Amino acid sequence: MIDIHTILAGLADALSLYNLFFVWLGIIVGQLVGAIPGIGPVMAMAIAIPFTFTLNPLPAIGFLMGVSKGGLVGGAIPAILINTPGTPDAAATTLDGYPMTKNGKPEKATKMALYSSVTGDAFSDIILITVAPFIAVVALKMGPIEIFALMVFAFSIIAGLVGDSVAKGIASAGLGLLCATVGLDPENSSPRFIFGYFELYDGVPLVSMALGMLAVAEVLRRMAGIRGKIESAIVISKAQNKADRRVSFVEFWKCRYTILRGSVIGTILGAIPGLDSSAASFLSYATAKQASSDPESFGKGNIHGVAATESANSAVAGANLIPLLTLGIPGNLAAALIISALMIHGIQPGPLLFQEQGQLIYGLFGTLLMANILNLFSGLLGLRLWTKVIQAPESIIFPAALLLCMTGVYLATGGMFGVAVMFVFAFLGYLMSSYGYSVIVFVIAFFLGERFELSLSQSLNIIDGDLSILFSHPVALTLFAMAIISIFWFGLGVKCKGTSEDSQSS
Amino acid sequence: MKQLLSIVVLACMMIVPSLGHGQDWSPKDSITLQIGFGAGGSTDIMGRLVAAKIEENTGWNIVVENKPGGGGIAMFSSLMRQKPDGLTLGLGVSMPIFLNLASRGDQIPFNIDTFDYLATIMRGEIAMVAKADAPYNTLEELIAYAKNQKGGIAVAFDAKPQQMVLEPVARDAEVKFKFVKHKSGAEQVQSILGGHVDVGCTAGEHVKYIESGDLKMIASMSKDRQACAPDAKTLIENGFELYLEPYFYIAAPKGLPENVKAALAKAFDEAINSDSVKQGLLNSMQATAHNLGPQGTHTMMSQGAVDIKALVEAATTQQQ
Repeated sequence: MIDIHTILAGLADALSLYNLFFVWLGIIVGQLVGAIPGIGPVMAMAIAIPFTFTLNPLPAIGFLMGVSKGGLVGGAIPAILINTPGTPDAAATTLDGYPMTKNGKPEKATKMALYSSVTGDAFSDIILITVAPFIAVVALKMGPIEIFALMVFAFSIIAGLVGDSVAKGIASAGLGLLCATVGLDPENSSPRFIFGYFELYDGVPLVSMALGMLAVAEVLRRMAGIRGKIESAIVISKAQNKADRRVSFVEFWKCRYTILRGSVIGTILGAIPGLDSSAASFLSYATAKQASSDPESFGKGNIHGVAATESANSAVAGANLIPLLTLGIPGNLAAALIISALMIHGIQPGPLLFQEQGQLIYGLFGTLLMANILNLFSGLLGLRLWTKVIQAPESIIFPAALLLCMTGVYLATGGMFGVAVMFVFAFLGYLMSSYGYSVIVFVIAFFLGERFELSLSQSLNIIDGDLSILFSHPVALTLFAMAIISIFWFGLGVKCKGTSEDSQSS
Repeated sequence: MKQLLSIVVLACMMIVPSLGHGQDWSPKDSITLQIGFGAGGSTDIMGRLVAAKIEENTGWNIVVENKPGGGGIAMFSSLMRQKPDGLTLGLGVSMPIFLNLASRGDQIPFNIDTFDYLATIMRGEIAMVAKADAPYNTLEELIAYAKNQKGGIAVAFDAKPQQMVLEPVARDAEVKFKFVKHKSGAEQVQSILGGHVDVGCTAGEHVKYIESGDLKMIASMSKDRQACAPDAKTLIENGFELYLEPYFYIAAPKGLPENVKAALAKAFDEAINSDSVKQGLLNSMQATAHNLGPQGTHTMMSQGAVDIKALVEAATTQQQ
């Protein structure tokens, strides 16, 4: 047990002005790069790491955590305002955030995103600080077979997002999975569907796909709709009701279960290494829709939709540190960057960390909590700025967004190849949404596809034809059972909806 | 006229390099160091560490660019087309290059001799590790244990060559290894600690867990024993003539002028052997900086390619 003196000394380090300054700087940078489509917080962190060599460990890590947390808040802003997620994590936020903007409530939506993001983040930080070692041990028990079962369960829940036509939903998911198989196969490393491009060995670059399908397709669609008149990208009416511009405490309180559910989902998925925050936000969204008394209003500007996705994707950020600090295993790319930064400062994350570096760890915990508060206030200031920026004429906003997407993808994938791939997917996304195929289902199937395939191949190798091994994996069996139940549940729900619509039309 | 021009050009080509000879070369423009892996990985961190040190030592400007894809194949395929002026260099890892050249060399636009080599930064140390409370401590005991297991034992790995080295071991010892592919060493450690696989093949990630007592080394898969577990025998000592030695190396397009090559090699050597880079590598990868120099790197690359090709051929004939 660490004595109280170490804890207090750590917290005192966290509260020093020098430290707070770097955390705040990180948050500003994070919100900025998050809000600009194309340049994500992960890239900003990778670029910033060499600069943090010169700092002390705590402000260095605090700065990087700030970028990561700020990025999660920033990514939601363009997702809500112009339907183009700033980071792939915010993809699900477009589902209800953008309809809210169209309904004339952009400020309400962005504020709700900010509040639920900060709440989800704070929730997972508190879990991290209090019960991290325990959760880490439980998360270790999630082996390949359990992860595979979890993937199957996730796919079954996503069935709830499919929309009106089950066939089109399955087609989009299948297409997403097909794109996820491009590159070396996980079993024998033989290249598939690469057509001679070595750049595709590691699969279709994720940023190219996500930005192409979600951001560029939308930008092109909007630019095609410009009719020579100079219009703002969004119109906020002056006579707007004051209640539509802010989130009252009552409204926030009404979303408490949604946010709590999102935070729990985000924390659990974040604690399991290898699953990223997009999966968490889609799962949270699907369950919020299912739990809602009014599921029809989701996708049409329900504030619960925004609260669900943003609380979940931000909760992942704190929870990622659970396996990182206790076991030394990074949960996702941002966590891997934090680990390399820690290591460069001579700090070994892992089993001995709490004993060797108690003061630093509690300093880091204090920093995380302070970062949430700073994130909230910088976010409130930033939102005003962004809503002003976005009111510039469409003919400026959309070409600028397109340029930023191209630059970002060029940097992230190291050349024009990634940009070309982005435009291929933009075209595909445009076609799919024009013909009523869900782009979101495609994207989530792509996100989950790689892990799905890897865990399937791992499970098959471990089981090696002996299905009785499955009985020693009760968690996996439970997840499989839940998957079957949820397919039945959602399948039935879709069918009922379908028949009621049929009867209305006839 | 045309003839005169070509003579002049030829003369220049002969004179210019010899003029440069003896005098120190320094880059006229920024040097681009291309990294064959994505931002944030260990190769990326290593490259940025070394580049920052060279900038500090020499005052040159070095731009680090990530060109991920195919374990470095994508980056080297474009690097070979750059001008050999010393302004574009690449950082890659030897193993995936060897493996790709050996298994599908006809599809890859380059070979070992397409590049000039400047330095190696370090050598990865691969080990077979198990959870500390596993009922075996050495490879012999592991094989004895595996013989008693009905379905064989689960072996985690994250790169094909690790599997190719252990397949002959299992064959000779007449045991069954179930190979379970992982994405990284960290994920292997997770599977080992969680009890989902019996052993794993990690490249350096094991060191801190061996120090903390959570993992133990069953065998070193390098040529030599490793500092973190000096009692663990190598595969060679166990009677299997197999080892893996991934090097992280710097290459340039073929045809660097001698003085440029010398100046760059010197700059890299100074940076790699500097205290701060050594310390950084030790901290981030638990490995010691290890520079073979231009000639040594070329020898290592040529020899490694031959060794891995033999391994691949052995594996394919076995399958047939």
